[in-house]
Amino acid sequence: MNPRFSLLLFMMAGMVVAFAPLPVPAVAPQARIFRIDARQYAYSASELEVNQGDTVIIRLVSADVVHGLYVDGYDVSVEADPGQSATLTFIADKPGSFRFRCNLTCGAMHPFMIGKLTVGNNNWLFRSIGLAMLAVFGVILSIKQKA
Amino acid sequence: MRRAELLSRILIIIGIILAVGAPLYFWKSTPIIHAQMADDGGWSPDVIQAEVGKPIRLKFTSDDVVHGFAVGQMDMQSMDILPGKVTDVTLNFDKPGIYTFFCTRWCGLNHWRMRGTIEVSGSPSDPEPISPPLYVSLDLDIDAPHDAPIIPSQTPFAIRGESLATQLPINIYPSPDYYLSHSPYQVFTDLSNTSLSESQRWDVVAYIWQSNTTKESLENGKQLYAQNCAACHGENGAGDGVFADDLAQAGEASMQSMSGAMDMMMQTPVDFTDPTRMLGASPALLQGKILRGGMGTGMPMWGSIFTEEQIWDLIAYLYSFQFEYEK
Repeated sequence: MNPRFSLLLFMMAGMVVAFAPLPVPAVAPQARIFRIDARQYAYSASELEVNQGDTVIIRLVSADVVHGLYVDGYDVSVEADPGQSATLTFIADKPGSFRFRCNLTCGAMHPFMIGKLTVGNNNWLFRSIGLAMLAVFGVILSIKQKA
Repeated sequence: MRRAELLSRILIIIGIILAVGAPLYFWKSTPIIHAQMADDGGWSPDVIQAEVGKPIRLKFTSDDVVHGFAVGQMDMQSMDILPGKVTDVTLNFDKPGIYTFFCTRWCGLNHWRMRGTIEVSGSPSDPEPISPPLYVSLDLDIDAPHDAPIIPSQTPFAIRGESLATQLPINIYPSPDYYLSHSPYQVFTDLSNTSLSESQRWDVVAYIWQSNTTKESLENGKQLYAQNCAACHGENGAGDGVFADDLAQAGEASMQSMSGAMDMMMQTPVDFTDPTRMLGASPALLQGKILRGGMGTGMPMWGSIFTEEQIWDLIAYLYSFQFEYEK
């Protein structure tokens, strides 16, 4: 086989693996309710996972000082005093992983008070595994051809 | 030409120094008050001098977390004090005396210990007679146990009580003085000479309590409760606030040396949904407890912070954990 043609073929295959739209599993959007306890300097539940289109309802409960919660990318925030829990509601319409962080200075380690919101499946993990396997396969094939 | 140029240069330099220096000088002349968590020292300085009729300008900044500033018993908007920012407040006092200022944003277990005083000097324009609080004039022992021996089997309902109360021959009950000085249980026993059943008597009690407050009072009390009480007593009044466990732990360390292990049991915040305690307490008794605080617990003294009206609103709200009022 023409090595140029096979290279082109592999590149096409790579594009398909990387960008082909996957069939989105038909999950009806639902309301997801989370309770997040905020203490110096951590959230507990610090990793949230929702499906795209879900309504995220976060009840922020502060247990020592005034804390906030700001979701990067969505640009929404809420603040809670101890004894006055606050609720943040938004629709997770953007897929991906987003940091959420405390947006009210809550002490020395305040910048490290973070968490993660994952919206939708992490497709890129599987796609990159596929790409890596394709590359390995291509290398093996080209070595065999030369030998 | 040469002299004129020199003169104008000097003038410009003087102008710049004045434009920059004068505001800086006046800004510097009021020192910044630093706010820290009570464990680290609270306010510094914590005593401020002021004079009647002279506006006093204060500047605040926080050294650690979000704090707030307000002066007790004064009608003012509380100010947030953020780390790395300077907050300006101008205060006006029209009566001499010692005012308490306090932190308004919860900043830890010892948040309420973060207080300071403003000493306002000057001649009083009209000295007001000071009347003792109701629990003092009634000579109540606010530390005595006050459990109600009988509690209702279901939540007393004020609307049912209203229709029953109209059939009663007596109408002294809804008077404010009677309400303030009697516990729900006392009213319940006073009603025992009527033909009502036990649960009907409790409904009448709920009606009496409702008719001595207003929706605005309850709303105001609810707000005060959320801001000042809920962190320990719980957002739903069950004594399970976010600091309840921390308080119990801190109590073991800080109270043991003072009065032994038994008193430590009081360290948990009171459960306002417990009918035995609440129905046995009169508004005057609760007023005493809120005014003075203490009781061997971490309960703050609110007397220097809340106005009398605020305390009555708060008490009206506390009873709403026991009674079902008209919505």
